[in-house]
Amino acid sequence: MQPLIQVEYLVKRYSSRGVLGSGEVVSALNEVSFSVAPGKTLALVGASGSGKSTLALCLACLERSTSGRIWFEGRDIAALDEKQLRAVRPQIQLVFQDPASSLNPRFTALEIVTEPLLVQRKWGTREMHERALALLERIGLSRGMASRRTGEFSGGQRQRLAIARALSLAPKLLILDEALSSLDCSVQAQIANLLLELQSSFVLTYLFITHDLAMAAHLGDEIAVMNRGRIVEQGVPEKVLGAPSHEATRGLVAATPGSIVTPRMPGGL
Amino acid sequence: MIERRKLAKWLVVLVALHGLIACAGFFAPYDPVEQDRQLPYARPMKLHLIDTQGRVHMRPFFYPLRMREGSFDQYDEDIARAMSLKLFAEGPRYRLLGLLPCRLHLFGAAGARICLLGTDGYGRDQLSRILYGGQVSLLAGLLGAGITLSLGLGIGAAAGYFGGWRDEVLMRLTEPFLALPWLYMLLGLRAFLPLAVSPLEAFFLIVMVIGAVGWARPARLVRGVVLSAKERDFVRAARGFGAPHRYLLWRHVLPETSSVLLTQAAILIPQYVLAEMTLSFLGLGVPEPLASWGNLLANLQQYSVLTSYWWMYLPALAIVPFFLGYLGLASALQEWADPFKVGRGT
Repeated sequence: MQPLIQVEYLVKRYSSRGVLGSGEVVSALNEVSFSVAPGKTLALVGASGSGKSTLALCLACLERSTSGRIWFEGRDIAALDEKQLRAVRPQIQLVFQDPASSLNPRFTALEIVTEPLLVQRKWGTREMHERALALLERIGLSRGMASRRTGEFSGGQRQRLAIARALSLAPKLLILDEALSSLDCSVQAQIANLLLELQSSFVLTYLFITHDLAMAAHLGDEIAVMNRGRIVEQGVPEKVLGAPSHEATRGLVAATPGSIVTPRMPGGL
Repeated sequence: MIERRKLAKWLVVLVALHGLIACAGFFAPYDPVEQDRQLPYARPMKLHLIDTQGRVHMRPFFYPLRMREGSFDQYDEDIARAMSLKLFAEGPRYRLLGLLPCRLHLFGAAGARICLLGTDGYGRDQLSRILYGGQVSLLAGLLGAGITLSLGLGIGAAAGYFGGWRDEVLMRLTEPFLALPWLYMLLGLRAFLPLAVSPLEAFFLIVMVIGAVGWARPARLVRGVVLSAKERDFVRAARGFGAPHRYLLWRHVLPETSSVLLTQAAILIPQYVLAEMTLSFLGLGVPEPLASWGNLLANLQQYSVLTSYWWMYLPALAIVPFFLGYLGLASALQEWADPFKVGRGT
């Protein structure tokens, strides 16, 4: 099947410019290549500083990659300019780790969810509100909560809100950058189930970035392991986590107590 | 809640003080430029309730002053004429808040002038001049602060948001403004500009001079806030669904600067009132016959005035409540905007 997104030799370097113009160059991404098929989930794991978040920002076109290609539905989006990107951006949405900082505290829940629609100017005010309210209900927040400010919600509710905002433009690819990491266990499970539900009803493709191997195994159709800006291992969860071939993967597995691999049942939860 | 109540308290104080000055026409008994050559440097008149015969009056009254034979600034009370003070008296015409034609004054007297804070060398009522002078000085402070904050917001936001060489150029530009003492900048800039201009032109000239001098500090502060605000995840998220720069700045980044701007305003306004006073005191500001707190104090440059007429110092006292008010407001704003950083005792 034609992949939804295919990344080829993606490189991202940051240079810290010194006073005299000569500075250090840090390679955050080093020739990263992978692809994800439509409707599937790629779980990306790796230690802190391995380049997971940089990859997320590059794929969401929030950072410019230094070189390499990002094929999305047959177009190289890494080569597009800001104006052309405007049409692509709604297709790829990012959910951040900490909903407390990814939701503007001055906004109400309704404003949060309508903001993307407002920015893209595709709908009238009434239709926009209808869509937003329907979406809020879909992700498990009642209509009565729509006028509350984001500070009045719990962590789990806020992350639901952030997911609702990301879904409001009906994206094809959802990048979840440590989206469950700031939540406690029971809430993590609820949101993970919500994600699976949404995936099957909206035919979403996920790039699920995490350092939680159990969650990666639970949600991912495949797992890719990142280490120092490279993808060092990729495959189905049972293989990658059951018989790790790379040292970095072994390190991650060894650091996680208990058994990790609980394969996802065919046909969802 | 405590922060909010404190803020409200200082706001009420400041609104009352500014209301007093804004409605100077009502609180002042006379026109500020109206002269009385029979009454130069008259000392503040006293209000009495008991007259020289020991009778108690129901209304406060005063004895008009009469110049002593052979002197030019010594007065005696004319005890034959007890003039009663009238509240809400009709008096000279004025326009309330510059708009409403009006004749009603808080107090006044028929038949003689009542000058509770004395008069100046032309016999002009000092109280009226202080009240009207406040309009000029405070307006200069407010407008000057407005100009400074607009410049600071525009320049700081541009530098912080767009970064790169723009940031570099703009921030190097702030450095001379931060390094040089503002008083010298003020005098230097004013010295460039024409001296002989109409009072109104002079007013706007000094407002612009004052406003142009202080933009560097707010620009730096705004830049700092914008730098951190534009890296927030909610700004990234908005960029992620294709929001243009204008939208990001207006909806997400600039609202973050509001508390810095408010605190800066509370600090800058009194500082700029003082700047106006300095320029006018040196004769570079608002010219006579218009009154401002600065040019009222300019009378003190004459030695005889300095030593003989203590009531000519009073304009300097007028600024005290305003400065205290703004100081209180600034600290209340700081606590209100950021309750965690201010030590409140444990």
